[in-house]
Amino acid sequence: MTMLDVRNVSKHFGRLAAVSEISMQVAPGELRAIIGPNGAGKTTFFNMISGFFAPTTGDIVFDGVTVTKLPVAARVAMGMARTFQITEIFPELTVRENIRIGVESSLGLRQRFWLRARDLAVVRRGIDEAVTQAGLTSKADRLVGELSHGDQRAAEIATALTLKPRLLLLDEPTAGMGEHETYAVANLIRRLHKNSAYTIVLIEHDMRVVFNLADKITVLAEGRMLAEGTPAEIAENPAVQEAYLGKAE
Amino acid sequence: MFQLVLFNVTNGLIIGAFYVLMALGLSLILNLSNVINFAHGNFLALGGYMAFVLTPYIGFWGALLVSPLLTALFGFVIERLMIRRVYGRDPVYSLLLTFGLAFIMQDACRYIWGPNGLPMNVPDLLAQPLTADLFFITWYRIFMVAIVIVAVAGLFAFLRYTRVGIRIRAGTLDLDTVNALGVNVGMLRSLNFAVGSLLAGLAGVLAAGQIGLNPNMGDDLLMPSFIAIIVGGVGSLTGTLLGGLLIGVAAALTTVVWPAASEAVIYVIMLVVLVVRPRGLLGEEGMLT
Amino acid sequence: MSVTTADAVRPLPGRRWLTAAIVWALLLSVPAWLPMLGGYTALAARVLVLGLAAMSFNLLLGFTGVMSFGHAAYFGLGAYGAGLTLKYLAASTPLAMLMGVLLGGVAGTLFGLLIVRRRGVYFAMVTVAFGQIAFYIAYSWNDLTGGYDGLRGFTRAPLDLGFATIDIANNDIAFYYFLLAVFAVATGLQGLLLASPFGRTLLAIRENERRARFLGIPIERHIWMSFSISCAFTALAGALYALLNNFADPMGLHYTLSGEIVIMAVMGGMRAFWGPLVGATLFVVAQDYISSITVNWMSFVGLIFVLVVLFFPRGLLGMLQGRGGR
Repeated sequence: MTMLDVRNVSKHFGRLAAVSEISMQVAPGELRAIIGPNGAGKTTFFNMISGFFAPTTGDIVFDGVTVTKLPVAARVAMGMARTFQITEIFPELTVRENIRIGVESSLGLRQRFWLRARDLAVVRRGIDEAVTQAGLTSKADRLVGELSHGDQRAAEIATALTLKPRLLLLDEPTAGMGEHETYAVANLIRRLHKNSAYTIVLIEHDMRVVFNLADKITVLAEGRMLAEGTPAEIAENPAVQEAYLGKAE
Repeated sequence: MFQLVLFNVTNGLIIGAFYVLMALGLSLILNLSNVINFAHGNFLALGGYMAFVLTPYIGFWGALLVSPLLTALFGFVIERLMIRRVYGRDPVYSLLLTFGLAFIMQDACRYIWGPNGLPMNVPDLLAQPLTADLFFITWYRIFMVAIVIVAVAGLFAFLRYTRVGIRIRAGTLDLDTVNALGVNVGMLRSLNFAVGSLLAGLAGVLAAGQIGLNPNMGDDLLMPSFIAIIVGGVGSLTGTLLGGLLIGVAAALTTVVWPAASEAVIYVIMLVVLVVRPRGLLGEEGMLT
Repeated sequence: MSVTTADAVRPLPGRRWLTAAIVWALLLSVPAWLPMLGGYTALAARVLVLGLAAMSFNLLLGFTGVMSFGHAAYFGLGAYGAGLTLKYLAASTPLAMLMGVLLGGVAGTLFGLLIVRRRGVYFAMVTVAFGQIAFYIAYSWNDLTGGYDGLRGFTRAPLDLGFATIDIANNDIAFYYFLLAVFAVATGLQGLLLASPFGRTLLAIRENERRARFLGIPIERHIWMSFSISCAFTALAGALYALLNNFADPMGLHYTLSGEIVIMAVMGGMRAFWGPLVGATLFVVAQDYISSITVNWMSFVGLIFVLVVLFFPRGLLGMLQGRGGR
């Protein structure tokens, strides 16, 4: 059984082929890392999965349903959530409010003009859960825009988690972070994966994070699939070493 | 009947030519700097009044050349002093700024030159009708259309062949990249604003010769210019050109059959375009969102 | 939109109640203190009406992050709806208000469908052009609207409550309190709206459209709803304006008024609930004063626009609260 089945997708921007015929299967509960040098087409690939734009050719099947051309809102409703390379949050709202918007959206309350006490209790519980999960209890009432980079990232992930996603897409979750923050975010991802059994696909540049966390790794280069395998297999792969690791390190 | 139709079609072309000059200037500024210049009609009036002041000294032909350049200089200074301070901020601020500027400029014209209309004399040669049969078409009307054609061709050549022009076009597509290539984007925007103002100033001189001067002379052209941009498609100068001509001619032809609806037809065209083709005739999809 | 440092502290709940208490105390006591300052009740009535228009507009600008520059259209449609009702249908003030709200609200709802995919200055440009359609119709349809001279020949009707009649037609102070009551209901509804999940969804769109979209929020539908609601409230303000003046004119639809509504919201503080009311107060009083001392009042009004944009972009309440637009 597969949670996410990407079949032969390509994306062309004018004459430029950003992604060519990539396929990938992700099993439920798996943590998949996508790596590759700059310009490998990772983000383009990600954007097609999350619905930012549709592939030129190929199909994307999520949990048995073809979602290739579905808009973002429909994919979110089916249980897909994502974060961005540059953290996307609501900077002038508090952590709680950020999360609350996600909770209310996932409960289908976003268009309500009032809440019944019963709904309010459910919302409160959802917020508390997500705040705890992200480890932000002590900062819950601060404006997200004022938090550190790592905490903002945690808040973004926590907000995405309120959607109760069956597939979590993380675009470079540790991008631009220092040693300490990277460690904290990697730990958060590990907890989500090991303790809560989330299915996660992430793009990552930090190789320590990738090789420590991932069950399987997909390597892209110049818009094509270069290799796929367990961290051990990828580390041994001569093509990967030459095309990617050799140059990068 | 034939004369009536011809009269209205010429009128339409002339009005369309003014829409085009105004709208192209607005469109240039909008595309590069993301600013709607509400004062654009007042730049037009300024061009007209300066020609009025200059004509006794340097004649109509001199004023036709110098006044648009002075309007461009004025636009350059305004951009340097004020407009640039709102780049990158919420769009509400650039709208309010140029809106306030429009108030001030209109009032200043009224204060300096009085609230009533002033006549502007054009050379006798141009004031003559073409022939006795076509008494309603003066040489001045032909001259206006010719100047507008030259100006528009000049603008497109400028954007295509000069270094600044090419940079303006590139900046319209991707300002960050142009910036990263080491182009002085601040100066580019100032020059671009000046070019837009130049077109407004030129339109002002031409309009003054046709309808005379008054402080609100640009106001009636502002809204049709917006519509020309919307109809033509935001982000496309060629679209703006087409849009301006289209609504000008459509308004004139409507005058033949149903005079009262000549202005309404402009709005109807806009609504039809918004419903049928929201991005405009030649607009880029990405420019919408 | 990327992450920016929010140099903002939000008002404490206690302070919010305090602000509301001050606002209401001042508004309720206007007839007592305004004449002592040399003002007149009709001026306060103008402030209330335009303040309501600016607050309604601000549901969009301040709380959804969408820039409409054509709100005068809905204000004017509200005014004509009310005026035409009183003149041709029935001498009923509540019916006039209802018809005004319907006319402006329905026009906004329909037009909103055409434009919700546009953003930023393009949204502003299309809204201003559409606003001019309403202006053009009112201006040209002489037989119905009175054209350039405006719609005259109607007066607001006394309020018949069944058990008593309130003479808002002739008693200025009674009419002021009537306006204040309508204002209270309208702004109360707006407050509830903004505190609701729907209001938070709008805030999410304002703060970060991309994030909101990836939380499964259908952005266009919500902007459309916000636009429609904002237009309906603005039309209510317009209807009140017609009642106030017993007159509706095309200038009430012109984009000049749209710009004034925007500056009111911004100069008072577009991120603060009461900001637009404060802005309307400053603007109306300043305009009233300046136009009484100089014929060149337009320059000064223009100068207000420029100075606010360049030096006080957060508006008065924004500066007091440390919150506002950047």
